[in-house]
Amino acid sequence: MTTVDRAAPPQEPRTRGSRRGRRSRDWVGYLPYLLPGLIAFTVVILIPFGMNIWYSLHKWKGGNAPLRWYGLGNYTDLLADEQFWTSFRNSIAMILAMVVVPTLIGLLLATTLFDVLGKRFGPRVASVLRATYYLPQILPVAVAGVLWNWILNSQTGAVNVILREIGVANPPNWLGSTDTALPTVMLVLIWIQIGYPVVIFMSALQRVDPELYEAAELDGAGWWHRFRAITIPQIKPETFVITLTCTVAALKVFGPIYVLTRGGPESSTLVPSYYSYLNFFDKSKVGYGAAIANVLTVLIILIAVVIMVLQARSARREEEGR
Amino acid sequence: MASARKRYVAGALALALPLALAACGGDSSGGGGGSDGDTLTVWHYENDDSAMGQAWAKAIEIFEDEHPDVTVNVENQTFEQIQKNAKIFLTGDDVPDVMEYNKGNATAGQLASQGLITPLTEEADSRGWADTLPDSIQTTAMYDEQGLMGSGDWYGVPNYGEFVGVYYNQDMLDAQGIAQPTTFDEFEAALATFKAAGITPLAEAGAEYPLGQLWYELVLHYGDRDLIDDYQLFADDVDFQNEAFTQATEKLDEWIKAGYIASDSAALTAEDMGVSFINGTYPIMVSGSWWFGRLVEEIPFTWTQALFPDNTMHPGSSGNLWVVPENAANKDLAYDFIDITLRPEVQEILGQKGGLPVAGDSSSITDEKTKEMTENFESILDEDGLAFYPDWPVPGYYDVIVSELQSLVNQSKSPSEVLDGLSTAYQDGKTDLLEG
Repeated sequence: MTTVDRAAPPQEPRTRGSRRGRRSRDWVGYLPYLLPGLIAFTVVILIPFGMNIWYSLHKWKGGNAPLRWYGLGNYTDLLADEQFWTSFRNSIAMILAMVVVPTLIGLLLATTLFDVLGKRFGPRVASVLRATYYLPQILPVAVAGVLWNWILNSQTGAVNVILREIGVANPPNWLGSTDTALPTVMLVLIWIQIGYPVVIFMSALQRVDPELYEAAELDGAGWWHRFRAITIPQIKPETFVITLTCTVAALKVFGPIYVLTRGGPESSTLVPSYYSYLNFFDKSKVGYGAAIANVLTVLIILIAVVIMVLQARSARREEEGR
Repeated sequence: MASARKRYVAGALALALPLALAACGGDSSGGGGGSDGDTLTVWHYENDDSAMGQAWAKAIEIFEDEHPDVTVNVENQTFEQIQKNAKIFLTGDDVPDVMEYNKGNATAGQLASQGLITPLTEEADSRGWADTLPDSIQTTAMYDEQGLMGSGDWYGVPNYGEFVGVYYNQDMLDAQGIAQPTTFDEFEAALATFKAAGITPLAEAGAEYPLGQLWYELVLHYGDRDLIDDYQLFADDVDFQNEAFTQATEKLDEWIKAGYIASDSAALTAEDMGVSFINGTYPIMVSGSWWFGRLVEEIPFTWTQALFPDNTMHPGSSGNLWVVPENAANKDLAYDFIDITLRPEVQEILGQKGGLPVAGDSSSITDEKTKEMTENFESILDEDGLAFYPDWPVPGYYDVIVSELQSLVNQSKSPSEVLDGLSTAYQDGKTDLLEG
């Protein structure tokens, strides 16, 4: 009896210990699958980001020039830099042009194509139209930018030639005036961007159970009611994805600005990424350019986290049936 | 060296990632000379049919004749490609032996101060380059430790020159009964006559270099050599509210208000300007000798080229430089090649094709128009009249000048405010340059 008592070890700790051991063995088992991603993340993102932070604490011309320690000087210099603030103010306009407006228009177009045109003229017509809206997304941004530059040229561009033909004596100087350059760039960005939410929303709509609509229709719900009570809640996950990806794209937008205005006229279309590029390449102020890129990166991470938290909260609510 | 390279590449990558700048990485796949002395790798960005392109082809031909055991590997790059990426790819080992590069504090000066290109002073002395090239051309060849041109070691060798002048549509002048202006007053009178006839006289472009060069012509009109040495070479402090800068900026403002420059030209490019002059939309274009070949090819009307009236100094400089990367494998072959580009047979091709040779003789040029332009350039050199370009003093100044002068075209800033904007960026850039 005594022997048995002594020989029997406590049950609980042994169980816990073996679970821990199994977990650790599981982790080791997954390692070969995790390792390539971890290495790639470290080499491609983590180390360069760390180096970029290191550079941002220095004054450096680049190349073999000496690094001079500057502490947080580049960051405090940014605070007093009017162009830096202008570039971030313009980012709000970019979010409007690349996230808010395209998402709203995309939602409207997708539901119209799906609900009205798709049902009346068949899915093939809806698909063709969807592809048409997506075309600007496929077009290289350099090509799109050059085309829009031609179209919007103040003297020889198609838009102003037409306006003059119909009697407008002084048509707008689209990309050349501080009043019109930013709105014009925004319009081009909307044009580029619209196809993306249309495609995503249309595939989301195909996922929604048609019985929901049929039931609502039987209950006498009109289009607007069905849209508000069924469509919008059902496609919420896709809406989050679009908002997240487009917001990140809007904050780091570079190509369209480079091709259309190079930040001008008078810095009216300057954006952070282009400003960083200017400092890095044209002014050889590598530390300062790195500081701008870091601020931008942190901002992008913060906004992405906020959107992802909101998305998780929304999904949790849905699961809980609220 | 290797760790510096890694640092820079990692830094570039780090910057490139958040910004998604696909164009940041230099393409090194095809570059790089062999280290065995059997290969010479040359990078340049001239079109084959341009004066420079043809002259470089001749230089390569001569080099191959004189170095039968050496393979010459010529790679055509684009100006932008080399301009933007040189700082990155020159830190690697896979670099050309000799490369064409833009000149000035903001460009070759930066590479020199970053230790990315080889000092050439010994070669310049021993091979006589210092005697061959005129003094004002040598300014852009030399850079000090901070990358400021005009003193220090030789870092590049120019073969040709360029300057800004005035192109006239002679048919349009004749139609208005205007003789080609020989004085500044006559030039202004011509502008007024055209405007009165409902023709905007000056082809301009606010989004790129042309408007800055016109502004600088006016600064040179009212200023003197001391001011230019202060402005370009940091000989002394520059007061941007001084008489010459003020008069020049106010004169440009006056011309804009008078309608001598189209009010919608703020976003136009140099290409827009050139095409509108070629199309006969505007009768006068103030721009560089680099347009010459294209104008000869494309203009259907009678046209002439002259120096900006009454100016003793003109925007202009040597052409681009031949530089030897610090990590080049076959530097001696590179020096031989550079030496060949300065020989009479290569310089003659530049001259005949309108490329403004710096070691040539205009008397042998057969085409009248080309001869006239080359003589104009020689007269500038004789008077030490090359005043470089307005965006040269500090890195990143090009965008500042473009932006400030766009404000003038759009009438959103007064001349005094424009000068304040130019002054602030200049002083900041100068401080950065001098502090290293």
